[in-house]
Amino acid sequence: MSEFPWHEHYPAGTSSEIGDLPARNLPELLSTSAAEDPGAVAFTQCMPNGMNGSLRYSEVERLSDQFAVYLREVVGLEVGDRVAVQLPNCLSYPVVAFGILKAGCVLVNTNPLYTASEMTHQFSDSGARALVIIDMFADRLPQALASTSIETVVTVRISEFFPAVVAGIIRATQRYWSRTLPIVSVEHTPLREALEAGREQIDGGSGLATYLEGVGPDTLAVLQYTGGTTGVAKGAMLSHGNLVANTLQMLAMCGTHLRRGEETVLTALPLYHVFAFTVNLIGFYHMRGRNILVPSPRPPSNLKRAFENYPITWLTGVNTLFNALLNERWFLDHPPRRLRASAAGGMALHQSVAERWREVTRTPIVEGYGLTESSPVLTFNPLGGTVKDGTIGIPIPSTTVRCVDDAGNALSAGQPGELVARGPQIMQGYWQRADETEHTLVDGWLHTGDIAEMDDDGYFRIVDRKKDMVLVSGFNVYPNEVEECLTAMPTVREAGVIGVPDPKTGEAVRAFIVADDPAPSLDEIVAHCREYLAAYKVPRSVELRDELPKSPIGKILRKELRTDPGASTNDPAPETAPGSEEASPR
Amino acid sequence: MTTSLHTLATQVVPPADHEVVTQFEQVILIVLVFVIMFGLGAGLTPRDFTSALRRPWGLIIAWLTQFGIMPLLAFGLVLGLILQLPNEVAAPLALGALLMGAVPAGTTSNIFTYFSKGNLGLSVMMTTNSTLWALLMTPLMLHLYGTRFMPAGLDLQIPVANIVITLVVMLVPVGLAMVIRRYHPNIGAVMELLGGFFGLFFIVFLVVTWVPRNWVLLTGTSWQVFTVAICLGLFGIAVAYGIARAIKMHPKDARTVGLETGIQNGPLAIAIILLSFPASPQLGLLLLVPALYSLFIVIVATFVTLYFRRANLAEEQKIPSLL
Repeated sequence: MSEFPWHEHYPAGTSSEIGDLPARNLPELLSTSAAEDPGAVAFTQCMPNGMNGSLRYSEVERLSDQFAVYLREVVGLEVGDRVAVQLPNCLSYPVVAFGILKAGCVLVNTNPLYTASEMTHQFSDSGARALVIIDMFADRLPQALASTSIETVVTVRISEFFPAVVAGIIRATQRYWSRTLPIVSVEHTPLREALEAGREQIDGGSGLATYLEGVGPDTLAVLQYTGGTTGVAKGAMLSHGNLVANTLQMLAMCGTHLRRGEETVLTALPLYHVFAFTVNLIGFYHMRGRNILVPSPRPPSNLKRAFENYPITWLTGVNTLFNALLNERWFLDHPPRRLRASAAGGMALHQSVAERWREVTRTPIVEGYGLTESSPVLTFNPLGGTVKDGTIGIPIPSTTVRCVDDAGNALSAGQPGELVARGPQIMQGYWQRADETEHTLVDGWLHTGDIAEMDDDGYFRIVDRKKDMVLVSGFNVYPNEVEECLTAMPTVREAGVIGVPDPKTGEAVRAFIVADDPAPSLDEIVAHCREYLAAYKVPRSVELRDELPKSPIGKILRKELRTDPGASTNDPAPETAPGSEEASPR
Repeated sequence: MTTSLHTLATQVVPPADHEVVTQFEQVILIVLVFVIMFGLGAGLTPRDFTSALRRPWGLIIAWLTQFGIMPLLAFGLVLGLILQLPNEVAAPLALGALLMGAVPAGTTSNIFTYFSKGNLGLSVMMTTNSTLWALLMTPLMLHLYGTRFMPAGLDLQIPVANIVITLVVMLVPVGLAMVIRRYHPNIGAVMELLGGFFGLFFIVFLVVTWVPRNWVLLTGTSWQVFTVAICLGLFGIAVAYGIARAIKMHPKDARTVGLETGIQNGPLAIAIILLSFPASPQLGLLLLVPALYSLFIVIVATFVTLYFRRANLAEEQKIPSLL
């Protein structure tokens, strides 16, 4: 059997190697689309009520040029300086992200749902000098910026670049109706002023053309934070070459399903997540598609107007999203007529969901796999080729994947072992964490920590996760972090956190605690966690125990909690975290 | 005893028709409803109507509750409460109440359905359907339950003009709005928002203008009549909603069926009375239940809407708190 049995399964016309990269850096790759058709609509942001704004390719290029010049000439940043971006999906995201890349700076994607302490960690670890943040969440800044090196804050409105009347209405609604506009107490520059300042510099003759002179495939482009194996969030260093390569590798798996200049993709996943960043933002911009940005896909009815008003041809998502749509009557009654294909990643796509999706939409859905550390795509089921549900597909071109034993020896088909991968998309390492990098990148192989097995055709299937990490709707939750947060409560003595299967989120966080008498109520625990952890990390259920299973040296054995009969899903009465309106059982 | 009953009768009799609904008020209401539906219609697409047609059960159930439950409910309330009153006032009051139960759904139901996050497409179709059926069913139901209260030789007039106006002020703006939204989603969304504001204004306007102007009417009316006027709408909504939930209709549709059934076309009932009994000395009594109903249904529906928004939205949160 060949070492690369998957080579025969690529879509027609796709070769096993992507060859030389057509661009030295991301801005160079992206600029071709605007040159080809400057008037085409690149991005449309669709609010739940149908209000929308759009940017054409020429506008995205012009505005991101202005932002690049602002960062370099007005703020005074240099090549390699980090700029944190904390935005939901909105028109400003591509302007800001492309601007940072055009300035030769490094984009640090940050989840807007982060609490102040999570923000502080990410900002200080990355050493970001500037931050672009949505104004709705800027109230956390005084606390979050305290011990960071952030000198410049740019604030963004959710309605940026919308028609004036509509923007005014959205603004007024936020201010007077939903009251979601906090007062920003730190010194900041609104995005439009930053862009205006950049424009003035361009008019006066800026060095825009020279910013990227030294920026090549090996230059750092993005710091994408991930917990990795130990749970301390660390920045995966993704270079321009990593992201250019992964974009082309991923597109090669789409065959004829993805046509240049003709696709409309619905981006419901957040762009700060590496999957949507590479696939939706970079991939579809490069293919001159139209990107429909939805700021929040929750509840799923938020997507209704987007599906009604735009001829969606592509959809990317996680299992949770596809499943949610399949529970919406408006979606079932009128599945998108123009849809061509859907791609799933982030978490396992349930076979039942995949089958139902194909039945309802009569279009293919394929599952892929990847890590933040691999930009992210490593494998995908080939569109137009053999699709095997329940597998993560075959390695994408120029990528070698194998399963290895603990000694690092390659295993043959059918034998489970740790999945390791090599290719041009593998990160340069973890930002300022040489020791962690050493454990993860061994002789050029990325060790994923996932146990997988390959079949005879070269399709891989994930068997188990080596890590204890809990995967909630595609977001990593590290038990360590949640346990630390729980034991910080004065009445909680010990805590053990595991993931339990959940029909909606894939996995849900369950905590086991040993507490003093009187024990804290579920509400108190949840309220405490909400203060320090993003919502998805907060335990969905908490069980009170007299003691927790421990190893001889006193380490809490999560493995035993998982196999504990009390922890099984048919547990008669687990305290389940309710919606906030339900009373908590004491 | 006789005196107090007599007082009741005389106090209530006075209104000439202009006091119940003035011409000016009618025009304002029609314009408002037109404007509101122009806004709310911008939230609809043809898909909303085909979705409703795919589940004809919704429309059938709604028809049954509209012309089966509501007239029966009115009849029950008449038997239980109105007939306690002396004969000379009971007959015209009963006829007014029965008519109120037999008329079709009003346009107001669409507005409340919208605020209850119900199924607006279904609501518009239900109103259209029941309004057309009213030409046949309203006289039929009135004869079925009310013959004994009717003056001899009564010629019941169903004002086709009002039927047409009801349909026009609903369907024309909805159609126009759908076209606008199709080509300009932003204008559509703004229109929808404004329609919502006007809708709220409309509800407040109804209550605020009604109560003081009809204060005499309110203070001079017996509790039985009040109860009938309030309960007809409230029970109608509750029973229809209960049936819809019992047969496992989607909560959105169940809310719609409830509101659509309980909220009747009050102005149509008033118009029918004015046309059919032009010179009756009992005109005031005939109009009393429809007039009070029209006032209280706004209040009842407001509370029901608040309840629906609270109780059901949580239940429909199928998606976890994160995605």
